[in-house]
Amino acid sequence: MNKKLLGLVAAVGVSFGLATAAQADMLSDIKAKGKIVAATEMHYAPFDILKDGEYQGICHDLFTEVAKELGVEVEFLDLPWQSILPGLEAGKFDFVNAPVTITAERMSRYNFTLPIGNATVALAKKAGDDSISAPSDIAGKAVGSQKGSAQLEQLKAFSESLDTPADVREYVNIDEALSDLAAGRIQAVANSAPLMGYAAVQRAGLFEMVMPPFGDPKFFGWVAPGGEDSKTLVAAINDAILKMHEDGRLQAINEKWLGSNPELPTTMPDVK
Amino acid sequence: MNFSFEVIWHNLPYLLAAARWTLLISLGGMAISLVWGIFLCAGRISRGSVIRSLARLYISFFRGVPLLVQLLMFYYMLPYVGLDLPAIAAAILAVGMCSAAYTAEILRGALQTIPAGQTEAAQALGIPTLSLWRRILVPQAIRIGLPSLVNELILLVKVSSLASVVGIGELTRISQNITGETYRPLEIFIAAAVIYFLINLVISGLGRLAEKRLEVG
Amino acid sequence: MELDLFIRYGPALLSGFGVTILCWLVGSIGGLVLGFLLACLYRFGPKALGWLIYIYVEIIRGTPFMIQLFILYYGGPYVGLVLSPMQAGILSFIIYGSPYFSEIFRSGFNAIPKGQIEAARCVGLSERRILMRIILPQMLVPTTAPLTNFFIILTKETAILSVVTVPELLYETQTMAAETFTFVEPFLVLSLFYWVLVIGTSWVGERVEARVTRHLRRV
Repeated sequence: MNKKLLGLVAAVGVSFGLATAAQADMLSDIKAKGKIVAATEMHYAPFDILKDGEYQGICHDLFTEVAKELGVEVEFLDLPWQSILPGLEAGKFDFVNAPVTITAERMSRYNFTLPIGNATVALAKKAGDDSISAPSDIAGKAVGSQKGSAQLEQLKAFSESLDTPADVREYVNIDEALSDLAAGRIQAVANSAPLMGYAAVQRAGLFEMVMPPFGDPKFFGWVAPGGEDSKTLVAAINDAILKMHEDGRLQAINEKWLGSNPELPTTMPDVK
Repeated sequence: MNFSFEVIWHNLPYLLAAARWTLLISLGGMAISLVWGIFLCAGRISRGSVIRSLARLYISFFRGVPLLVQLLMFYYMLPYVGLDLPAIAAAILAVGMCSAAYTAEILRGALQTIPAGQTEAAQALGIPTLSLWRRILVPQAIRIGLPSLVNELILLVKVSSLASVVGIGELTRISQNITGETYRPLEIFIAAAVIYFLINLVISGLGRLAEKRLEVG
Repeated sequence: MELDLFIRYGPALLSGFGVTILCWLVGSIGGLVLGFLLACLYRFGPKALGWLIYIYVEIIRGTPFMIQLFILYYGGPYVGLVLSPMQAGILSFIIYGSPYFSEIFRSGFNAIPKGQIEAARCVGLSERRILMRIILPQMLVPTTAPLTNFFIILTKETAILSVVTVPELLYETQTMAAETFTFVEPFLVLSLFYWVLVIGTSWVGERVEARVTRHLRRV
């Protein structure tokens, strides 16, 4: 046993020292294996959904097409967010096909792909609540959002610009914010526009979207490990995304899930 | 609120399928916890000071560091030292090794109530240490510590939910995922709670039964 | 590892740690007291009450804390029970811990030979004196270690309060993790803070144990 304990201690030490395991070019490794392993949280509708035991959603459909373009099979893993970054760095899987808001701080640690979704913030309110008809009506009201998210920052900035700021409440998961909206403790929830729109469609009698989205335009990208090894992989995935822009697959998939085309940019967005 | 039994009914097969992982991890973890816990307890009260300190260090580490972090270590850090465990093995091992630290302490507490005279008498009669433990000390310690041990096993069933961090779709994780799609957390969580309750009812029922059978005095 | 992260998020993490300690102390001591009352009522109260306690223990102990708290906090308003995060957190924490404590005390009662209590009754000791002088001092011997165990388990269960937005340690480390996209640093912080609590609790547990087992030691 004591050996194991020492092993653990050594493992901790090693992992603090080495940010990533030494790897050659990821793209050629994946092509040689004929398979890419992608992890996500199957818990972010309409991007990632686990419905009737099956993984579905925009990210599922898009990445399945990307894998076809790369000429490899794809295996999807469901992981809670806490273990997605450790797993990516430990090389347990190759890629994160979850929608992650592209921000400067995050780009300094990991390599992002081109945008695959609209991450601009929008509000959901309780169905039939007449007191909120535009985003600015949240002045003085309690609004929930997800902790540490880029959308929370946008909400805070917007709230500060109002005459009476909103009472911004931070939740660990967006499910809990929506539960509190249903329970009546808060009057609105702020998150990415597609997510809010989907919730309003799924529970039409309970939630309703507040138009339009507000704040700076933001985008979701996918994430590869930081450093040089993943550069060619990201480039190949970007090529696939661009190709899907051109041949209409990207639009078709988005329309299937969102009922509209998010008009994503074909270049990397500027982040401060 | 419009409580929807239909959502529960529709998703019940997926919840039950996920509960099989919960059961597998729990049963594997329990076996490790009980067996390894006895050895740890013996180490903790051993006369050799090196073994005693190592057992103390083990217990302090496994009780001190959150199980979430231990699991991440087992799964994501052991590959750095060349030990790449499958997810389910990492989960069972981590849950069992952590629980063993608590089991060891429960048994140690129970052993203290056994009069030292018993050990001395056994030694005077020339009974070997292994038999002393197997036939005299462990059975009594289990009898006295049984309710606390059942507590620990039930906690183990519930912490098996952390196995989701190594990618296992156990009951809590699948409930959360279904919630993310149905937006009906209360219904799904109540269903999950009932499944946990039934599993734990079996454990505590067996515990009570064992308690009755071991009852003395 | 980036040390400036600890400086940037230090105040929030420390305040989270403070909230964790507060919830843990209030919740676990409340649970201990409630659990002791339940164990005494189960042992000495009428049989019907014993059955009710048994059902309570099985239901609360058999279901996950996260789900109990979720139902209390997010389901409560539907039946007119609107609690603040802190109220819901501490109340459910006390309720959640009580059946475990009650079972530990029950195991303590089991450790005392029935003959002793019968003998005490024969020599005319009152039930109160039997409890205080004979049962309690002896039941603390096998229960101190499991009680310490459970206090330690509860330190980490406080993390679940984050689902109802109680600003405890995990809640605060989530911000750091999500904003900066780090994971080693937040987990290190969590582990170190919890370890401090656990070492402190074990130390107290050992002192108590040394005191309650003093009579067993040979000179």
